[in-house]
Amino acid sequence: MADERDPKLSQHYRELEPMEPPSALDQTILAAARRAADKPRAPLVAPAGRHRWYYGLAAAAVLVFAVALTLHIERERPDPEGNVASTAPAPQLRLERELRGVIKRAPEPESQPAAKPEAFAPEPQPQAQEAKKPSEAPAAPPPAPRRAAADEVRARQDAALERAKVEAERARMQLERRTSNPDANSIQQRAAPAAAPTGGLAIAGAPENPERWLERIAELRSRGKHAEADKALAEFRRAYPDYRLSEVMRERVEGK
Amino acid sequence: MEAPDEQLMLAYRDGDTAAFDTLYTRHRARLYRFVLRSVKSRAVGEELFQEIWIRVIEARARYAPQARFTTWLYTIAHNHLVDHWRKRGLTLVSLEDDDTPGSSPDPADHAQARESLARFAAALAALPPLQREAFLLHEEGGLTVAEIAAATKTNEEAAKSRLRYAMAKLKAAIDDG
Repeated sequence: MADERDPKLSQHYRELEPMEPPSALDQTILAAARRAADKPRAPLVAPAGRHRWYYGLAAAAVLVFAVALTLHIERERPDPEGNVASTAPAPQLRLERELRGVIKRAPEPESQPAAKPEAFAPEPQPQAQEAKKPSEAPAAPPPAPRRAAADEVRARQDAALERAKVEAERARMQLERRTSNPDANSIQQRAAPAAAPTGGLAIAGAPENPERWLERIAELRSRGKHAEADKALAEFRRAYPDYRLSEVMRERVEGK
Repeated sequence: MEAPDEQLMLAYRDGDTAAFDTLYTRHRARLYRFVLRSVKSRAVGEELFQEIWIRVIEARARYAPQARFTTWLYTIAHNHLVDHWRKRGLTLVSLEDDDTPGSSPDPADHAQARESLARFAAALAALPPLQREAFLLHEEGGLTVAEIAAATKTNEEAAKSRLRYAMAKLKAAIDDG
């Protein structure tokens, strides 16, 4: 458009009265610009009418959520000083109860001895034995200092965990044995038709314990079913290779 | 080297008020003259001038340098003037006719317009609004024909025609002396 420009016209135009905005107007506009820049995210038009309550509701919701979250975190946080007995944090006690429940859920029959880790683990782990002690302690919290109470609870939990591990390991081994040797499984089922799933963890189809198994073999032997007894004994030895038979039991199951 | 207008506007959009100060200082006088010579009334012109800048401030978040800042600024000014004229019951359509004169200059001005400058001022005031606007955009805003067309939402031919008519009338007013 440079070709459209007429220098004479432009000169005349420039010579017209020089008009400039008054300084007050300048200040007003510049102040408005600064105000707007101070709140860049806020709308220039404030919320009004029926939309005004949205903001209050949103603020209240955020506040309630923040308070609830804070309380939740505060309750879930473990007590660094071990104030278990006095403050009794719910999750710890709940865990302890649950662990106890796991053990008690499938109680051993009275005719059978209690689960003996040494029965299938000739060299019992001292940790397990140590851990057993606190589990036999009375449930009532002793009026000991807070730290002692916390230690006791921790020991109980360790013991319960240890027992649960032992039971789970036993069940796993027996399940493996069953799946890897279906014949033995059927033998066991035949030999122990009444063998209730009374394993420590009450797993469905869990086999009988060694002592009961041996009793059954001895019974077969005494009835003269030597072939079955031999088969069952061989199966037993595969299942519990480290099991130490007492002399009396050996005579009974081997028939010698 | 001075920062370009577009960069200043982007800086202001991001919160730099000093950038706006520079931008305003750079364009205040030209825009002020453009507005005042479009409406003739100083009070109305000042009000419109302030409102145009407020619109610029409000539109900062949407600003994207797709064209020159000047084109964007004068587009806002044009739209605001159109709103103003509409509120006053004036329509630009009736004034689109290139042969329709604008408001007649005061006879007293004619009497005093013995000098070419006075005649020029009188002729400028007498131009039809769209022709005057095209001329002011060209002179004050420094807009090209294409930019005038964009700012006034018309095609280039119409913008070029308006500008040529305006310049011819102004030139005739000067030459008459």
